[in-house]
Amino acid sequence: MPQNETIQSLGLDEYKYHFVDDTKYLFRTEPGLSEEVVRQISAQKGEPEWMLQFRLKALEIYRSKPMPKWGGDLSGLEAVLDQIYYYVRPQEKMGHSWDEVPENIKRTFERLGIPEAEQKILAGVGAQYESEMVYHSLKKEWEEQGVIFESIEDGLRKYPDLFRKYFGTVVPPHDNKFAALNSAVWSGGSFVYIPKGVELKTPLQAYFRVNMERMGQFERTLIIADEGSRAHYIEGCTAPVYSTESFHSGVIEIIVHRNAHFRYTTIQNWSTNMYNLVTQRALVHENAHMEWLDGNLGSKLTMKYPSCYLVGEGAHGEILSIAYAGDGQHQDTGGKIIHAAPRTTSSIVSKSISKGTGRASYRGLLKVHKGATQARANVECDALLINETSRTDTYPYIEIEERDANVGHEATVSKVGDEQLFYLMSRGLSEDEAMALIVRGFIEPIAKELPLEYAVELNRLIELEMEGSVG
Amino acid sequence: MTNEFGFTTLPQAPEGVTSTLNRGMVETLSAFEPAWLRERRFRAWEVYESLPLPTTRLEEWRYTDLRKKLDLGALAWPAKTQCADDWEACPEALRRAMEEDDPSAGRIWGVDGQIVHVDLEPRLQEKGVVFTSLREAVQRFPRLLEEHLATQALPPERGKFEALNAALWTDGVFLYVPRGVDLELPVRVTRWVAQAGVAFFSRTLIIAEAGSRISFMDEILSHDLEAQTLVSRAVEILAREGSQVHYVGLQRLGKGAFFQASQRTLAQRDATLDTLNIGLGATTTRVDLNASLLGPGASSEMLGLYFGEGDQHFDHNTSQDHLAPHTTSDLLYKGALDGRSRAVFRGIIRVHPGAQKTDAYQKNRNLLLSPEARADSLPNLEIQADDVKCSHGASVGNLDAEARFYLMSRGLDREQAERLVVLGFLGEVLARMPLGSLGQKVTRVIEEKLKKV
Repeated sequence: MPQNETIQSLGLDEYKYHFVDDTKYLFRTEPGLSEEVVRQISAQKGEPEWMLQFRLKALEIYRSKPMPKWGGDLSGLEAVLDQIYYYVRPQEKMGHSWDEVPENIKRTFERLGIPEAEQKILAGVGAQYESEMVYHSLKKEWEEQGVIFESIEDGLRKYPDLFRKYFGTVVPPHDNKFAALNSAVWSGGSFVYIPKGVELKTPLQAYFRVNMERMGQFERTLIIADEGSRAHYIEGCTAPVYSTESFHSGVIEIIVHRNAHFRYTTIQNWSTNMYNLVTQRALVHENAHMEWLDGNLGSKLTMKYPSCYLVGEGAHGEILSIAYAGDGQHQDTGGKIIHAAPRTTSSIVSKSISKGTGRASYRGLLKVHKGATQARANVECDALLINETSRTDTYPYIEIEERDANVGHEATVSKVGDEQLFYLMSRGLSEDEAMALIVRGFIEPIAKELPLEYAVELNRLIELEMEGSVG
Repeated sequence: MTNEFGFTTLPQAPEGVTSTLNRGMVETLSAFEPAWLRERRFRAWEVYESLPLPTTRLEEWRYTDLRKKLDLGALAWPAKTQCADDWEACPEALRRAMEEDDPSAGRIWGVDGQIVHVDLEPRLQEKGVVFTSLREAVQRFPRLLEEHLATQALPPERGKFEALNAALWTDGVFLYVPRGVDLELPVRVTRWVAQAGVAFFSRTLIIAEAGSRISFMDEILSHDLEAQTLVSRAVEILAREGSQVHYVGLQRLGKGAFFQASQRTLAQRDATLDTLNIGLGATTTRVDLNASLLGPGASSEMLGLYFGEGDQHFDHNTSQDHLAPHTTSDLLYKGALDGRSRAVFRGIIRVHPGAQKTDAYQKNRNLLLSPEARADSLPNLEIQADDVKCSHGASVGNLDAEARFYLMSRGLDREQAERLVVLGFLGEVLARMPLGSLGQKVTRVIEEKLKKV
């Protein structure tokens, strides 16, 4: 990839999140997974007995389930799972102000621009480093209105009843192999409760950072949006590039109660040695809205299909998915919408870009259960191929058990046309710039849904990735 | 042997070997056959034994549970048919079906898995066209058959049913059209099934030499069958450079039939190889169709139409393989479903590396006419070339209330209006291929079904 002036002036590398902190760890489990590891994690957190039992049961389920045979190539994963660290504790206790966070860790998040963004545009911030949340803070005005934004561990400690009522109900451990693994070894993540009628004006954000080599991160997030509430939650993820592979497997459970409106945004930019297998699911009640905005740019292999279970009449689910697969990357992403109540509506829009030897696959399920009358659903997938060696796949599943449904799916695959490039170049743009402009136009419908800072970041990233892509 | 999770499994009794379907049957069938065919049957049988019966854990069989839908153990071997090659001896329903047809270039009819009658216009015989039963072709054209029968298009390794058919076929049809010959009129094969509780295996091999033109109409029908009956059919079509082949399969079997069809079409440079599969009958229908575009300029139109009622189950599994640049494929499968019927469509477009300038399309549309009907649709794409035009679409919907209202406002009653909407919906498929009387036949059968509903 040629290093031209644009890149140099921006001061960016190919993967600008590659920096390693020399951090000492307070505690870490032996590499690999065992019952002992699970017990140690639970003991480290001083958990109630029921949670330990939940973990141990989940471990059993994990071991009983075969490795998935579909999706991406997981043949190398078993070796990775045997040698990673399942739990690494970076510090004694979590901070509620950045001053309480150890200097070197704080510096990491400063480089990622988190404290700055917190000042400017966020209602609250959580920051996870390896296995634990190192920082969690919510602006006072929201705290006063009864909003809860805690690390998942504090959620369990401080709100045991609320926690237990919902935990594991949306994504039970037996849902899939990696949900079971997460249920056994989860650590870190957020616990969020938005009280009835409260509307958060600015987003909450959680930032996930893996720093150590051969690290497994298993965050778990539980979000309850009570009736009529409104909120937006953003997660971002990065890690340095190592020669060995790392593993990230989160579980996100969201309950969107009647008339509530919730949006969950992911900007995943893991380094390209990361396996990223995530289960994200929302239960959407009567007249509630759930939106997943899922941006997958990094990782070696991502398998992630955010889902909406529309269980209340008039519920609405939306998934906007954007995937970028560069050399050696496989983004196996998409979404699932389950219509299980009358007059529910949904839409999935997926845009993917494959470049070099990258492979972007859309995999989605659209299901209308019997009794979900007058369901309306639409799926649109567009794929853009940049090079001859790029690959794209579309695997939609459409299952309709109700006559009174109206469901459509459309997908197109195209390449950047020579005419398009030629036109823009005749207007004075360089080939790289023209390419970047076309790609930006392609993802624009999704980028415009992002908060401004992220949209800018995404555009910059695309510009960077398109350098030298022509010819 | 390893299972789907990569674990070694202990040898166990091969699945699908029964008191009827077994090695002994292969022995009996091949007793007086040439050595190459005997060997081929036994090898196919070995493949059959080595493959497990597909389960719903396989993507291709996700929505059709063979363990519930097909009882191989209950199937007997059909008794030899006594039907003579005589129009008067022809079963009445079969005769009626043929009387409805437009003129043909050649005609074959068969009863219970055996070919009874063959004719072909003398002018075509003179030009070297061969249209005959597969059994006779084995005797007369051993070299052609040895080279092409169950080898390039449907070798036994393609799957359990492909292997079973290759081992146990009893008869079928062979069509060979020499270079540059235009059949002008369609050739027709009409088959009647009378015996119930048995398994039929037939094969069709079509070879279109360079520049030839073929229209092949393949119809099968029966009354309702009181016991489950397996009707297995393998169709292999080889279209050489610049040839044009239209293949139409019309299936009107009665209740009780399990119709299993494997079809593969291989299109060489500039060949046009179009197929239309019409499924109106049988309790369960499973069609596996692969169109391979092997030479630049090859194109395939793939059409399908199904109408389900009662407990009918249709499962169409299609694939479009683009293996050369400048190839085109266009698939449209449409179905209307009434009663508790169910349709599954799984289709995949694969653009292989180097198949630049591919133009591939795929669409499945379903109309649900009853609250108990169900449709599952899986239109897939796998694209490994960048300069292509590919898209697919799927939709499931109900009768357009507005269209119905409009027609009713013009004086039609509700039933008539619905019938017109359904026929209009399905008619799009029929209009895409020249069908002559066959199109009217299909429309009539659908109308009858709609009236019954």
